[in-house]
Amino acid sequence: MASIKRSLESDPLQSNISSKVYVRSTKSGKVQKIVCEVYLRQDIPCSSKLCHRCREIAPTDSAGQPIPFVLSGAPAGTSVYPNGHYLVPDTNAFLSAMDLFEQSSGFYDVVVLQIVLEELRNRSLPLYNRLVGLTKSEDKRFYVFFNEFRLETYINRLDGESVNDRNDRAVRKAVAWYGEHLARTKAKQIPTVVMLSNDRENLRKAKNEGIAACSLANYVRQLEDGEHLLDMIPETEDGEMIKEKRPNELFYPEYFSMSKMMTGVKGGVLHQGTFNVSPYNYLEGSIRVPAFPKSLLILGRENINRAVDGDLVVVEVLPKDQWKEPSTQVIEEEAITKNENPDTEEGSSLVTERERKALQEEVKRTHSKTTEGHAQPTVRVVGVVKRNWRQYVGHIDQTSVSQSAQQGRKQDTVFVIPMDKKIPKIRLRTRQVAELVGKRILVTIDAWDRDSRHPTGHFVRSLGELETKAAETEALLLEYDVQYRPFPKTVLDCLPKEGHDWKVPTSTDDPGWRDREDLRHLGICSIDPIGCQDIDDALHSRPLPNGNFEVGVHIADVSHFVRPNNAMDMEASIRGTTVYLVDKRIDMLPMLLGTDLCSLKPYVERYAFSVLWELTPDADIVNMRFTKSVIKSREAFSYEQAQLRVEDASQQDDLTKSIRVLMALSRKLKQKRMDAGALSLSSPEVKVQMESETSDPIDVKTKQHLDTMSLVEEFMLLANVSVARKIYEAFPQTALLRRHGAPPKTNFDELANQLRVKKGLELSVESSRALADSLDTCVDPKEPFFNTLIRIMATRCMMAAEYFCSGTQAYPEFRHYGLASEIYTHFTSPIRRYADLVAHRQLAAAIEYEAVHPSVRSRGRLEAVCKNINVRHRNAQLAGRASIAYYVGQALRGKATEEDGFIMKIFSNGFVVLVPRFGIESLIRLRDLAEPEPSAEYDAETYTLKTSGSREIKVELFQKVRVLVTDQKDETTGKRGVKMEFVKAY
Amino acid sequence: MATTQQVLLSPAELAYLHASLSLTPPIRPDGRAPNLFRPLVAETGILPGTNGSARICFADGTEAIVGVKAEVEKTRGADATEGGEDAEEDNNREGRSEWVELTVEIPGLRDDDSGTAFLSAMLQEALLADGGFARKLWINRRYHWKLYLDILLISPPLSYPLPLLSLTTHLALLATRLPRLKSEGDEDPFFDDDWAAAPYLYPRDKKSSKALARPPVTLLVMAVGRNIIFDPAKEELAVADVALAVSVGEAAETDDDKGKGKGRKLRLLSIRTIDPPSRLTPPGVPNASNAAYGAAGATQKQPEARMAEAEVVEGVWRAPRGGAKPLVMAALVQKALERGGVADEVLDALDGVDLG
Repeated sequence: MASIKRSLESDPLQSNISSKVYVRSTKSGKVQKIVCEVYLRQDIPCSSKLCHRCREIAPTDSAGQPIPFVLSGAPAGTSVYPNGHYLVPDTNAFLSAMDLFEQSSGFYDVVVLQIVLEELRNRSLPLYNRLVGLTKSEDKRFYVFFNEFRLETYINRLDGESVNDRNDRAVRKAVAWYGEHLARTKAKQIPTVVMLSNDRENLRKAKNEGIAACSLANYVRQLEDGEHLLDMIPETEDGEMIKEKRPNELFYPEYFSMSKMMTGVKGGVLHQGTFNVSPYNYLEGSIRVPAFPKSLLILGRENINRAVDGDLVVVEVLPKDQWKEPSTQVIEEEAITKNENPDTEEGSSLVTERERKALQEEVKRTHSKTTEGHAQPTVRVVGVVKRNWRQYVGHIDQTSVSQSAQQGRKQDTVFVIPMDKKIPKIRLRTRQVAELVGKRILVTIDAWDRDSRHPTGHFVRSLGELETKAAETEALLLEYDVQYRPFPKTVLDCLPKEGHDWKVPTSTDDPGWRDREDLRHLGICSIDPIGCQDIDDALHSRPLPNGNFEVGVHIADVSHFVRPNNAMDMEASIRGTTVYLVDKRIDMLPMLLGTDLCSLKPYVERYAFSVLWELTPDADIVNMRFTKSVIKSREAFSYEQAQLRVEDASQQDDLTKSIRVLMALSRKLKQKRMDAGALSLSSPEVKVQMESETSDPIDVKTKQHLDTMSLVEEFMLLANVSVARKIYEAFPQTALLRRHGAPPKTNFDELANQLRVKKGLELSVESSRALADSLDTCVDPKEPFFNTLIRIMATRCMMAAEYFCSGTQAYPEFRHYGLASEIYTHFTSPIRRYADLVAHRQLAAAIEYEAVHPSVRSRGRLEAVCKNINVRHRNAQLAGRASIAYYVGQALRGKATEEDGFIMKIFSNGFVVLVPRFGIESLIRLRDLAEPEPSAEYDAETYTLKTSGSREIKVELFQKVRVLVTDQKDETTGKRGVKMEFVKAY
Repeated sequence: MATTQQVLLSPAELAYLHASLSLTPPIRPDGRAPNLFRPLVAETGILPGTNGSARICFADGTEAIVGVKAEVEKTRGADATEGGEDAEEDNNREGRSEWVELTVEIPGLRDDDSGTAFLSAMLQEALLADGGFARKLWINRRYHWKLYLDILLISPPLSYPLPLLSLTTHLALLATRLPRLKSEGDEDPFFDDDWAAAPYLYPRDKKSSKALARPPVTLLVMAVGRNIIFDPAKEELAVADVALAVSVGEAAETDDDKGKGKGRKLRLLSIRTIDPPSRLTPPGVPNASNAAYGAAGATQKQPEARMAEAEVVEGVWRAPRGGAKPLVMAALVQKALERGGVADEVLDALDGVDLG
């Protein structure tokens, strides 16, 4: 009987075929044996310009052209490798120090092995993308070598060998092969092929095998400005040494194994959720899990167990006797861990004495209360499913710098205090302490071991001096993950070739005019903030013979210029939104489109997407239609100009009349909305006035509200609602809509209780209508601002509105709570929001203007888009606010003013004051009141804080107070912010 | 149950075969000794995608392939929340028969054919009879392996395929490996990704790489007269008085057995009588009653019917009737189980197959 096994012996090509066998566990719990046949070849080139043999046999591309070789024929040399060298990094090298490879001062001629690339992709997608980016850049000369398919470099896994060891061996094999291969080229100077690794074992084995290998640190030292680069290497090398010193000292409990956690989560014993740190107390976190309606508390360092804000963690509920109330105390990391020394972890226990004391007070307070119901379930973190670490902006804690480190190049350990207060201090080893002190720096967290109180990280780069505009702006953008790099060439290639000379074609036979309505005869105008360049929307109205009005909202036709799925579309979908900072705008679309070709500038013809209604004088919709159009805006007004025009009775031109009609209709629309239960919410908004020359901030003003603003707003809302209905009708599964969930009642518990206790007011929250009505009754006749204050506080109890894909929610869930609309979307700002662009495409397909593109029809794709733009949108808002806060601080610099403020939050050791004039809020701690800190008595039932001793004051919630506002550099975050001093209570 | 299709032998041929097999010692058509197996060729690991596979060819040209696939399955009724208080009670772990699914495919027959169903039932019965097999599939209190055995006869069924299929299944199971478990206790199972580290379902001695325990084999034994014949060929089965499928397992070696010399301690797992095709063969007609020889009453329409009732005539074929005699049964089993007997030999032979 002949064997039917593949008989490799008899096959002439047997050496070219190999197979890999491994076990794959799928997410659904299946376990499969996988057998892959590997077909090995010998024509994969080494891609070195020195090598002629490879050039002859290398495969060509589809056009029959040879693929250009990447690695330089004369690579740079170093002191150790005088003949020049090619680098072959292993996976760990990329994982730990990708920043190094992106440096322009070194790291050229790098061979990226396929196995390394694949491993990197499995470990970290962002790093993988960065590496792929590097391999595409021509000047860095990164070459991906498919070692797993080249006969000479393919290896089989040995018995008992772990995958990692096998891959390390594959790397060494490839390095060795490269060396031999290049030696055969008989070039005058044969470059050394150097393996870069931070893995000791790998380095040792390489040495035994006689392969040139180098640790990252040793290699970087050979480079010219190596000293600087050294800091970008994480300190894995010394890690073992430290551990050896104190083997028994472990601060944190060990994490559960992954399978144990997953079993627990499935069984309902453990819970999984995203860990959030309280902004006021770094030792308190909360986590929302699907199993409970309220979020769970995590108290204390030990229970938080190395989780960092944003991590996906698994928690275990603690026994009931450990349940506590959320803290009413402000605990700041800086204040408590001030005297820690980064070099030595001297505290023998995890929780320092001071931390313990702070928590002790909490417990005492909880225990003294007899009210059982107040204690909340507490949990502890038993494991981290996914770290959400990113790069953090921060600055070096001055006090952690030892004197000797100020000079010299000795490596020193310091603390970095991240700008985000929720992120713990990061231990950093650097040689450039002297240079980095007082700078904004970017760092990443590498690890948080059980034996280290703080996470360890490494330095990425410096953004510049603290408090310089450039550094602070960049810090802000980095912190909120705003994509601010210039648009790449591939994106710019998608722009119309004519550039700024592009015009609406004169001939109406041009394909651009296909199915477009000519609306150039209408008296259209736009109303926007002063200096607005990206004009998304314009309006018109005209009376109809039957006494009704025709109203049109015309939106820039961005989808005409941004075709689905090209590079520009991709970039826009990643950016998601334009980010407005006080002095800077980070565009979603290239300038040419945003401020010129799409922008509905006055006096020129532009493509638009128009929504046209026939409205009765009572603002009831008789009919509506949507059309692509060509318009010519008559004028671009600012809100102020438009307001003046409307109020000036002498102005009787058509344009002004039409604005007046719009104004009248908008009031009726607004009334209808309010009747339906729309909320009028509030957030403290201010505007920073800049000196026109230097754009230095000079003053802060609260934003004024003009009727023309609500005019534009009303019609935009109307357009959005109309479009939402239309696209939902056309695409019930895939319409991109926006919803605002009704907030859970418990969100308002605290505020309702506060109002009842302090003001005797009732807040009813059954529906948005009830809430709107009860908010209207929340007035203090003596204090007009009180109502706004309550609205601000109520706004913070709300959920965030979000984009979603209609197939993912049931129709009743579409509701926009704040606007009291059944259905809503964003349509009116396609220049600055990606969601609107998608809505444009869907509407165009719905009115059969163009075919449905797969990307606006694929639910999976749309869900991914929604997820991204929701995050981007939120970040853009936060970045905008942070920018204002920074400039408010700058504007107040060196000035001290007394202002009125209101107490919006009260703790047992401090209170938060909101100053409406500047739209800022700040914490006043008891210890700021007087020296020594006055003792205080806090009554949580009545929200009253009474101090005695060094200073006697009595403050309560919602109270109006007088404060002295000065600027101060916050030592914790390094931000210049306002500092408030309590002057008196009214 | 009919073991094969109609036998195409004449009564005279049947009578001749029967006569020669009844001699002492019997003379088999292929010249084998009564307890000699047909030569076979075997190999394992022929299907790389399976957890274990084997192929056996008999010299008569019949050939079978067996593939074993394992899947992780949640145990029904397992309590997820229960803690591992009595983790040491691993010995109490139980297996269930539904953890093994066995399908037999015979070319030319439907898969719900009674013959096929009977074959797979017999094989499954033998596999589960020792009770220890399903227990091997236990992962933890909440999960188990579900084993799918696909048994394929790839040649036409020239002889009754039971021994072939059983031996192939035996080899495939010996070669079967399951991924190495890395998780502990009653957690969701988590496995080592290294196939090379996967342990064998039937553990092996590290040095000799011989299996320490083995799956059962089912042998086909028949009796003609007083003679007991193993591994009958198709023609032999056609004249069998009795045919039995005897499943034999290897009992775990206890201390008492040590030093008792070579040979295994065999254990009878199950016996099934098989309806030999001989029962359906037409009887021969003795000359005495053959009309062609001028016998009286030759005009009768159904001479066979009368013949069946008649006396046994030497040299005239008559289909066997009635069940197996207890004495013969006992002898059959005895023969199969005896130390150094056929089962022992077969297992020894299979030991020689390279399982790598």
